[in-house]
Amino acid sequence: MPGRYLPTEYLPVAIFIAISIAFGLGALIMGSMVRLRRPYREKLMPYESGIDPVGEPRVRFSIRFYIIAMLFVVFDVEAIFMYPWAIVFDKIGLFALIEMIIFIVILLVGYVYALKKEAFRWE
Amino acid sequence: MIPLHWYLWLGSIVFCIGIFGFLAKRNIIIMFLSIELMLNGVNISLVALSHYMQDLRGEILVFFIIAVAAAEAAIGLAIVVSLFRNRTSPHVDEIRELKG
Amino acid sequence: MLEFFFGYLSLVIIIFSLLVVLSKNAIHSVLYMLVMFFHVAGIYLLLQAEFLAAVQIIVYAGAILVLFLFAIMLLNLREELSAEQLTDGWPASLAVVAGLLLTLMLSLGGFTTTFNGSWSPEKIKEITFTKALGQALYTGYILPFEVASIILLVAIVGAIVLAKRRLN
Repeated sequence: MPGRYLPTEYLPVAIFIAISIAFGLGALIMGSMVRLRRPYREKLMPYESGIDPVGEPRVRFSIRFYIIAMLFVVFDVEAIFMYPWAIVFDKIGLFALIEMIIFIVILLVGYVYALKKEAFRWE
Repeated sequence: MIPLHWYLWLGSIVFCIGIFGFLAKRNIIIMFLSIELMLNGVNISLVALSHYMQDLRGEILVFFIIAVAAAEAAIGLAIVVSLFRNRTSPHVDEIRELKG
Repeated sequence: MLEFFFGYLSLVIIIFSLLVVLSKNAIHSVLYMLVMFFHVAGIYLLLQAEFLAAVQIIVYAGAILVLFLFAIMLLNLREELSAEQLTDGWPASLAVVAGLLLTLMLSLGGFTTTFNGSWSPEKIKEITFTKALGQALYTGYILPFEVASIILLVAIVGAIVLAKRRLN
C-alpha cells in the first residue's frame, strides 16, 4: 500500500544529521555561556598592525568563475544520468551502451565547443 | 497512513509561494529562485502522484525536470549576468532597453 | 511516526519558502533555499524515491545554488536594503495567488487515485528504486533521454556565448 512507507534504512542518516546539528549548536551555546564578553574597538582592527581595508568588501569577480561553474552544472547533470544507467547496464546490455554513447557524443560536441572557445583558458 | 492530498496541498502551497515571489519581487535573483520554488512544488506533486499510482512515470518526469532546471538556471543566470553586469541595482523594473 | 516526519518536513519547507521570497538579501534567500531543498529531499525519501532525493541534493543544492551564488558575486550589486522590495502591484499579485491557492486547496481536498500501476512499493523495495528507475528510463524513454542531452548542449553553447561576449 502506498502512503505507509517509512524509510527505516535511512534512520542512521537521520541520527547522524541530528547529532551533527546538536554538536554544532551545543558547542556554540556552551561557548557563549562560558566565555567572557568584553568587546572593544581594538579587537575589530586588522591583525598585527595590518593595513586598514580600503573600498568595499564585495569585490567584483571575474566572469571566468561563472563559465567554470556553469560547465560544472551541465556535466554534473550528465554524470547523474550515468548513475542509474550503470546500475541497470548488465540487464539491458548493448542497447544501453549505444544509447549512452549517443548521449555522450552529443555532449562531447558541447565540450569541444567550450574547448575551441577557450572557456577553460585562464590567462 | 498519509493521504495523497496532503502531498498535493504541500506542492500547491510551495508553487503559490513561488508565483507570489515571481510576480511581486523586484530583485531578479529572488525572482529566479521563485521559479525554482515553483518547479519544486510541481516535483513534490509529481513524485507523490507517482508513488500513490504505483507507477514510475511521474518520477522519470521529475528526473528530466531537474536536468532541464539545471540547463535553465545556467542560461538564465548567464542572461541575468550579461544584463545587470554594468548596473548597481538588481531591480527588474529599471531594465528598459532590449540591449544588455 | 510517518505523520510526524511529514509534518516536520512540510512545516520547514513552507516556512523556508516564505523566507526565500520575503527576505531582502539575495544571499540569505539562497541559503534559505538550501535548507528548503534538503527538506524536499526528505519528502522524496518518504515517497520511496531515494535516488531523486540524492539528485535533488547533488544537482539542486550542489550545483544550481552554487551557480546562483556565483551570479550574485559577479553582479556585485549593492544591496539597497532600504529600497522597495516589492513591485507597486504586489497587492494584486497577492490576491491572484490567494485565489489560486484557495482553488487548489479546495479542489485537491480528499483527492485520491484508483489507478494501480505495476510498481508497488513492495516491488520497488525489493529491487531498489534506482534500479527500477534505470530500467524504466533506459528502455521506455530513450528519445527524452537523448533530447535531454541536446538541451544540455544548448545550455553549454548558450551560456558560453552569453558569458564570452562579456569577456571580450
